[in-house]
Amino acid sequence: MKRPGRTIAEIVTVLVAAVVAFPLYWMVLAAVKPADEIVSTNPRPWTLRPTADNFVHALTVQNFGRYLLNSVLVAVLVVVAGLLLAFLAATALTRFRFRSRTTLLVMLLVVQMVPVEALTVPLFFLMKSVGDVAPAFGLNHLGSLVLVHLAFSLPFAIWMLRGFVAAVPVELEEAATLDGASRFRFLWQVLFPLVAPGLVATSVLSFIHAWNDFLFAKTFLISGSDIQTLPLALQAFVKPDQNDWGAIMAGSTLMTIPVLVFFVLVQRRLVSGLAGAVKG
Amino acid sequence: MAFAYLAPTLLVLAGLLGYPIYQLVLISLYDYNQEQVSGNAPLNFLGLGNYQKLLSDKQFWTVLAQTVGFAAVCVAGTLLVGTALAVLATRVRAVPRTLLFLAALGAWATPAVAGSTIWLFLFDANFGLVNEVLSGIGLHGMAGFSWTYGQWTAFGLVAAQVIWCSFPFVMVTLYAGIRAIPGEVVEAAALDGASTTRIARSVILPLLRPLLLVVTIQSIIWDFKIFTQIYVMTNGGGIAGRNLVLNVYAYQQAFAASEYGLGASIGVVTTVLLLAITVVYLRVLKRSGEVL
Amino acid sequence: MRVVRVLLAAAVGALALAGCAPVQSGSTSSAKDEKSGQLKVWLFDEVNRGPKEEVVKQAVSEFQAAHAGVTVDVQYIQVSTRAERFKAAFSDAKSAPDVAEFGNTDLAGYVAAGGFADLGQDVAAWSDGKDLSPRVTDTAKVDGKTYGVPWYVGIRALFYRTDVFAELGIAPPATLDDIAATARRIRAAKPDLLGISVGGKYTYGMLPFLWAQGGDLAAQQGGKFKSTVDSAEARAGIAKYTELLRDDSCPPAQCAGNGGDASVEAFRAGKAAMTIGGNFNRTAVDSSAAAGKYAIVPLPGKTAGSIAPAFAGGNLLGVTRSTDRRTLAVQFVELLGGKQYQQKMYQAMGNLPTFTDLQNTVAAEKPVEKPFIDTLNAGTRFVPVTPGWAKVDAQGVLPTMLQQVASGAQDVNTATAAAAQQMNSAFGS
Repeated sequence: MKRPGRTIAEIVTVLVAAVVAFPLYWMVLAAVKPADEIVSTNPRPWTLRPTADNFVHALTVQNFGRYLLNSVLVAVLVVVAGLLLAFLAATALTRFRFRSRTTLLVMLLVVQMVPVEALTVPLFFLMKSVGDVAPAFGLNHLGSLVLVHLAFSLPFAIWMLRGFVAAVPVELEEAATLDGASRFRFLWQVLFPLVAPGLVATSVLSFIHAWNDFLFAKTFLISGSDIQTLPLALQAFVKPDQNDWGAIMAGSTLMTIPVLVFFVLVQRRLVSGLAGAVKG
Repeated sequence: MAFAYLAPTLLVLAGLLGYPIYQLVLISLYDYNQEQVSGNAPLNFLGLGNYQKLLSDKQFWTVLAQTVGFAAVCVAGTLLVGTALAVLATRVRAVPRTLLFLAALGAWATPAVAGSTIWLFLFDANFGLVNEVLSGIGLHGMAGFSWTYGQWTAFGLVAAQVIWCSFPFVMVTLYAGIRAIPGEVVEAAALDGASTTRIARSVILPLLRPLLLVVTIQSIIWDFKIFTQIYVMTNGGGIAGRNLVLNVYAYQQAFAASEYGLGASIGVVTTVLLLAITVVYLRVLKRSGEVL
Repeated sequence: MRVVRVLLAAAVGALALAGCAPVQSGSTSSAKDEKSGQLKVWLFDEVNRGPKEEVVKQAVSEFQAAHAGVTVDVQYIQVSTRAERFKAAFSDAKSAPDVAEFGNTDLAGYVAAGGFADLGQDVAAWSDGKDLSPRVTDTAKVDGKTYGVPWYVGIRALFYRTDVFAELGIAPPATLDDIAATARRIRAAKPDLLGISVGGKYTYGMLPFLWAQGGDLAAQQGGKFKSTVDSAEARAGIAKYTELLRDDSCPPAQCAGNGGDASVEAFRAGKAAMTIGGNFNRTAVDSSAAAGKYAIVPLPGKTAGSIAPAFAGGNLLGVTRSTDRRTLAVQFVELLGGKQYQQKMYQAMGNLPTFTDLQNTVAAEKPVEKPFIDTLNAGTRFVPVTPGWAKVDAQGVLPTMLQQVASGAQDVNTATAAAAQQMNSAFGS
């Protein structure tokens, strides 16, 4: 009885997957096509003359490796710091009842509503004065990017993690306390591992956020050629009208791959991770 | 104790978001251009002048209406596609499901600029595959058809791209949610003789509510503030600005023109609007028994 | 506990800044004039900047050899993010360069923001300075003060396909009015070709039409600019230009969204019989489908034999007001912007020099540059020199006006009236 229904469902699933993946295929294809085939009035969905030219072109952007490292550094620092802070905050917002709790939760939504573009000027001056005290976190240093991305990814991370913390039974905490575990130990040795799937899910979102940023990078990293990040470097190929399509596609592929690899590695955990949020 | 856990977060948010937002509101009350920013001209307090200028601009209202409509379509489309595929994913075996998830994660991971560029490229009037295929199957009028010229085709194309890159978040979240529903609950309902649609409506849906709340609010916030896709795909807001949405409008009228005071007032208006929409949404949920 | 310290610093910073008015940067102008140390230079990045970098390297070594204890640090910045870079530099002296290349249309805004130093006396005392083309020097002036040395100019002219014109037995248009007629004739005979490739966002392609009809963008009245795009002459020019954006020459569905680069791109792809292109586009066209099959003439004016006034685009070299090494910075500008290196830049990148004598040499030696030099000598025009122009530009007032007409949404009178109103509001504030 059930079989034919499932077969149809599976065929539909594979078709949908193909449609969704097609633009990505097209991106990779354009990246390996020779220049004259990219802009052609008779586009073909394959190429017989694959070339690495576009990747070579994208990779020979001065300091590409350095920019890649910078981007990874910023994203990883944001993810790690963000997880720690969001975990603590989410625990506080689930395990404790206090008067301003709802207000805080709503505030976490409100700060996400402000258009970031509107905040660049105040943030610029803020970073300028932070730089006077702690140069590594001021203008023209990657630390400034870590700070802003941390601030912008926290509200969402806290919302997500709240559900995961809530899913951990309170009895567990009581048992641990009875066993003589300190609150600190409970937090890091019991609760933290239990919400790990949620941390993974949240970290992916923070990672993408910091990884793809262009706005703050171009506002804060003004002077100095070795502190740029990847999106800034790829901008070299984007001209107002006349784009170097092949190099853009190769660059985009290079931008997407690290995130995709990260995704695939954590996929199982991601899905079970996001499941935790249900119980919020 | 709660405060100790919250302290670092509050410090970061107060310093890096609270203070700039406070500045934003202040700036919106001043004539604040590049001259003022770099200290080459005195500040000029305008009171509500920027707001007055904004609200009396006819184009602002057109753009606002377009933004609301466009965001509504994107949110509805994203939720619909995401939910449908999440349900579909629970009905199939591991291999097709993994394929679907891989494709979806790929779409999700693609940087917005890159995603927009690829879609634009696929739908290019002369070099695009879509027109090639359409004219190949007999629709000769589609050869050289410009998708980005007409207001509605352009909006439609961008909406499709937005849905493409944002449905994975909804799908993955809801799939996980459905998976987390204990099998016994559904089985019990089935034993009671409830139909599939009835199970979906009165058993699964209520359990998914908290998740739906999060994905809906997040989608509204993200889609209302859409920038990159419109900016890249309609070349900065379409022919004569007929594809402008609020954030692109703010960028062109205010930020690119260094009119930060006006830009800040648009930012404040956007925030207030989004807040209003969210509050209404929460009210509706509350009436049906939902609490934050 | 470094994190805690930083967070505290952020909090303290926030408190320190939190007055009851928006933050402003203090004055960034510097009183120092050091004669050694590092000179920071910003130049624009370009797609194939190799040859440019070579020339600049030569200049840097020459400069360093002549000035002991001085190093020159050149950074290439992207044109697309220049606005953020410069705005930031004007507000934070520590990030600012000493010398920078910038577009002449950005000048008025930068000067209003207090970014660049007045070089009037330096240029007057400079031996090469007297040969600078006065028309080009005007694009480096705001309110009579000179804020930069013109490094090169960009001039546009009419590109046309010699093979198509020969096949149809027609001559290049002799007057402005002929352009539309010629374009229609070509497209009627060859429906696959655009009669002329122009665009709704191609402001600098439109301006010669407006100027040739005797119109202008704005007029100065008592120190304030007032838009004149709604004058009868300007309207006539805009009507002439938008006449090209029709299905019978350049269909709006294809052309209305195009700017200058996209317009030239269609010509490069071999899909257009004419276009308005710059001397800076020549190399790209030479490596395209149109290579060897095209010629260039000055864009004709209202009467046969006349030349329509072209927009005098180009880049300047300036010295920032915040520099601690003004003398060195000026000397570097005079070296890199001087005759010797302008000539090298022409050979390397094809950038037209800004010295009258060099221009004439170039025109005599390279016939292909003659149409551009002729256009330059016939008299060029410029956009209104006011910070308001940067706003008009950013808000896309003129492209919107052209697109309204091209898409048939508004007639010329309505569109120009709306544009004039927006321009006045930008000039006024």
